[in-house]
Parts: sequence; C-alpha cells; structure tokens
Amino acid sequence: MSQTGDAQPVVRLRNIHKSFDSNHVLRGIDLTVGQGQHVVVFGPSGSGKSTLLRTTNLLETPDSGSVWFDGKEYGPGIEGEGLPRGKARLLRQEIGMVFQQFNLFPHITALDNVALALRRVRGMKRDKAEHKAATYLDRVGLLDKLGAFPSQLSGGQQQRVAIARSLVMEPKVMLFDEPTSALDPELVGEVLAVMRDLAESGMTMVVVTHEMGFAREAGDLNIFMDDGLVVESGGKELYSDAREPRTRAFFEAIL
Amino acid sequence: MFDFGVWILAQARFRPEFIWDNRDAFLGGVRLTVFIAIVAFALATVLGLGVALLRMSKNRLLAPIVAAYINIFRAIPLLVFVVFVYYGIAIQFDVKISAIQAGILVLTLQYSAWLGEIFRGGIQAVSDGQTQAALSVGMSRPQTFFRVVLPQAIRIVIPPTGNMFIGMIKDSSLVFIIGVPELFRVSSVMANRTFRYFEVYLGAVIFYLILTTAAYFGVKYLEKRFALVDVLTTRVRSPFARRRGVRLRMIQDAVASERESKSSGTATAM
Ligand SMILES: Nc1ncnc2c1ncn2[C@@H]1O[C@H](COP(=O)(O)OP(=O)(O)OP(=O)(O)O)[C@@H](O)[C@H]1O
Ligand SMILES: [Mg+2]
Repeated sequence: MSQTGDAQPVVRLRNIHKSFDSNHVLRGIDLTVGQGQHVVVFGPSGSGKSTLLRTTNLLETPDSGSVWFDGKEYGPGIEGEGLPRGKARLLRQEIGMVFQQFNLFPHITALDNVALALRRVRGMKRDKAEHKAATYLDRVGLLDKLGAFPSQLSGGQQQRVAIARSLVMEPKVMLFDEPTSALDPELVGEVLAVMRDLAESGMTMVVVTHEMGFAREAGDLNIFMDDGLVVESGGKELYSDAREPRTRAFFEAIL
Repeated sequence: MFDFGVWILAQARFRPEFIWDNRDAFLGGVRLTVFIAIVAFALATVLGLGVALLRMSKNRLLAPIVAAYINIFRAIPLLVFVVFVYYGIAIQFDVKISAIQAGILVLTLQYSAWLGEIFRGGIQAVSDGQTQAALSVGMSRPQTFFRVVLPQAIRIVIPPTGNMFIGMIKDSSLVFIIGVPELFRVSSVMANRTFRYFEVYLGAVIFYLILTTAAYFGVKYLEKRFALVDVLTTRVRSPFARRRGVRLRMIQDAVASERESKSSGTATAM
C-alpha cells in the first residue's frame, strides 16, 4: 500500500532548506500529506521537527524549496514551475497549529481565545463568534470553562482550549508540535483523547510526538528525521523493522 | 541650645489659614501643573510607543538613531534642558513658542525616552509564542500586535508607567525656571511677595502630596481594573462583569441544549 495514500495531496513540501545563520536546520525535506492522512514525525531533539512544522504554515520562511497547498505556491518555489502564489496569512487560516507550550492568550478568557480569530479574521459578529467558540469548547469538554483565564486552567485544559482555538477556524490541516510533552503524565490522556477523536473524524494531521500509543493507533505515515533530513518513512513497520540503523537505534531507545 | 522664646515666636507667627485664604492662587497653579503633566504625559506615551517600536525594528538606519535619541534625552538634566530650549534655541533661532509649550515639549521629549524603554521592555516580555499563536490562526501582524501583544504588555508596564506619571507631576515643577505659572512658580512668587515662606511652601508641599497621592491611587485602580477574573466563578461586583457572566451562562445553556437535542436526534434516528 502506498503510504502517501491514494488520497488527494493537501500539502506538499519539496526540497525545503532552512538555515538560521550558519546552522543549516532543514537540508532538503520532501513530504506530501494526503487528504485525511495522519503523519507522525519522530526524531531526536534538534533534528528540525519544529522547524519543519513552522515552515509548513510559513511561521518560518524557507530559504528555498516549495510549500505547495491547495494549488498555490507559498514558498520560494521551484524554478520554472510558475505556480500561482499564495499569501502566508491566508495559508495560516487553513492550517491550524498546536504548540508544545499551548501559547494561549493569557489576558483573555478561554471563550475569547477561541472566538478571537473568528471575529478578527473571519469578521464574524460577536454573538455568532462566541456561540461557535463555545460549541468548539464543548467539543473538547470545556463548556464549563468559558469564563476562565488560561492561568486558572490545568495544562491539559489549556491544551484543549488551544486545540479548540485552532479547530474553530475549520482548518484543512492540523499541525501538532509535541502537544503533550509539557504536560504532567496524568494530563496527557485527556489531550490525546481529543486528538484521537479528531483523527477519527478524518482531519488531516501532522503530529510531532513520541507518544507511541497515539502513533500506533492513528499514524498512517511515520517519518523519522535526523539532522534536517527525512531519514526514513513508512507505516508501522518503522517502529520495529526500520531499514536505517539510525532509525532502529532511535526506536529501540524510546520503545 | 533649644531657645523656647524663639520657638514660641515662630509658633505665634505660623498662620495655617494663610494657605486657605490663598487657595485660589494655589489652585490656579495646581490646575496648570495638572494640565502640563497630563498633556505632556499623553504625548510622551504616544511618542514613547513609537520610540519603542522603532527601537525594536530591524531597520539598520532607524534603530541606532532611536537608540541615540533615548540616550541623549535621558542624559540631559531636565532643568538644563528646559532652559536650553526656551532661552537657548527659541531665542537664537527666533522660534515663537510660549513658556508653557516649551515646558510641555521638553517634558514630552524626556519622558518619551524613559517610557520608550519601559514599553520596549514590556513588549519584549511578551513571549514569542504569543505572536506565533496569533499568526497561526491567520491574524495579521498589526492585529497580532494590537490584540495580543500590546494588551499583555500594557499590564506589565502599568506599575512602572504609573511611577513615571507621578514623576511627571513632580518634574513639571522644574518649568518654573522659564516662568510657567504652575504650582511651584505660583508658590515662590507668593512667598517672595508676602514673606510667608513657611506657609506658602507648606501649601505647595501639601498640594503636590495630594496630586501624587491621587495619581498613586489612580494607578492602583488601573491595576485592579486590568486584573483578570473569571466572571463565572468569582463573585463580581462591577455591573459590567455581572452582565458578562449572565451572557456566558446563556451561551453555555444554548450550546448544552443544542448538544442534547443533537444526541437525542441521532438516537431516535437509530
Ligand atoms: N528561531 C530560531 N533561531 C535560531 N535557531 C533556531 C531557531 N529555531 C530553531 N533553531 C535551531 O534549529 C535546530 C532545530 O530546531 P528544532 O526546534 O526544529 O528541533 P526539534 O527537532 O523540534 O527539537 P526538539 O525535539 O528539541 O523540539 C536547533 O539547532 C535549534 O537551535
Ligand atoms: Mg521541537
């Protein structure tokens, strides 16, 4: 079975390079994410996983290579292709992102965190925006926390608000950057449960995580990154039966 | 040695009602002091925000110019600066400027440098993750700054900015030197005319104390006003917060009942 699936590609990265000063962090990444596919990204610290996600929604601009989304080019592009160019801001309205540190807006309530972009980006009226935001908070089990400020919520609750904040924009793709690694162990489950539901609902997801339970269950395509490159990718056989010694060593260490 | 006779004489000469009798003159000075402090502070706040933003910009030409602006205006003693602008520049270059305008200009320039540094600190204290999160839901850069970064920075800078405002009330007395009839100038003119130095300057001290104390409580109020409370779980007194609580409860009920009807709907369909 082809791992990129027979599904329509939604996001396509080709030959992405990114350096911070002399630190060459991404060294030619290729990744195609198909409609409804769940990509799980593995790799040691510093291998460029976060930078890869941040490049996908143009929080970082790649130095070269193509970020293709829905028929448009958002990166520097590939010479001679001449695809129509898209605006980073519009891309970000279609691609949600969940951060390791939640990054909720601490000065506004949970409800306002979720409603903010509806009002300011989608231009929705306050009543409609708040109602819709509350619906999404209900979906992550936090209807009773509408008026709470982030500092009054547990880490798990904060991360669920953050997921609702992204989902409410009805993105076509969701990016997760180690969404549970800042959480106390007893709070990991509630966040993973929301992510599982989301995966089952058919959302296209790219998830950086070392939560093997989630990966086994939801991961259609697993990729192992090291040193700014995709070393190896595949199905679940990657965990126990990788070709590359580096991949094997990595999974042996975390399993 | 303590001379009881002299002490008694001094007591006999102390006439506190003198302050009350001259309240109109004092209040005229107070009014101008308040006017100068508020106008100069408002201008300095706007200018300071600009200074902070330019100082943080990646522009290789502007950033060092603004850094120089900050360092120069903070370094000149205010008294010298006032005299230099009003008697020096204005006369040399024949600039038509009133003493009040000159005073406000100098206070604005110096305070914009101080406030600029405070604002820069406040803005930089807001984590980068906030900007990324705002951008990631599709907000524009200006929206991100005004809706996410600035409101957080404001909470951070309220206390030091409040201290600057209290400082402004006090520093505004320095423009007496160019003849601006604010509280201190009015007082010293009155003292020289009546020789009632103690009463007059005691009056000045009291009025400055009232002004700075009022400003202090104003700052405390702002801090409280900007504090974050959950209107659903906290007993709130302000009518605004109470209305907000009612609203949130209505939204909760509406969403919960929609969920109920949806799940019972699917149940009957099955
Ligand atoms: N904004 C930045 N400026 C400079 N260097 C950066 C920046 N972001 C990342 N880097 C560098 O890029 C490299 C890869 O970082 P990245 O965060 O993508 O790794 P990662 O795989 O997500 O690691 P971790 O598992 O620790 O999160 C690191 O060497 C890091 O120091
Ligand atoms: Mg990372």
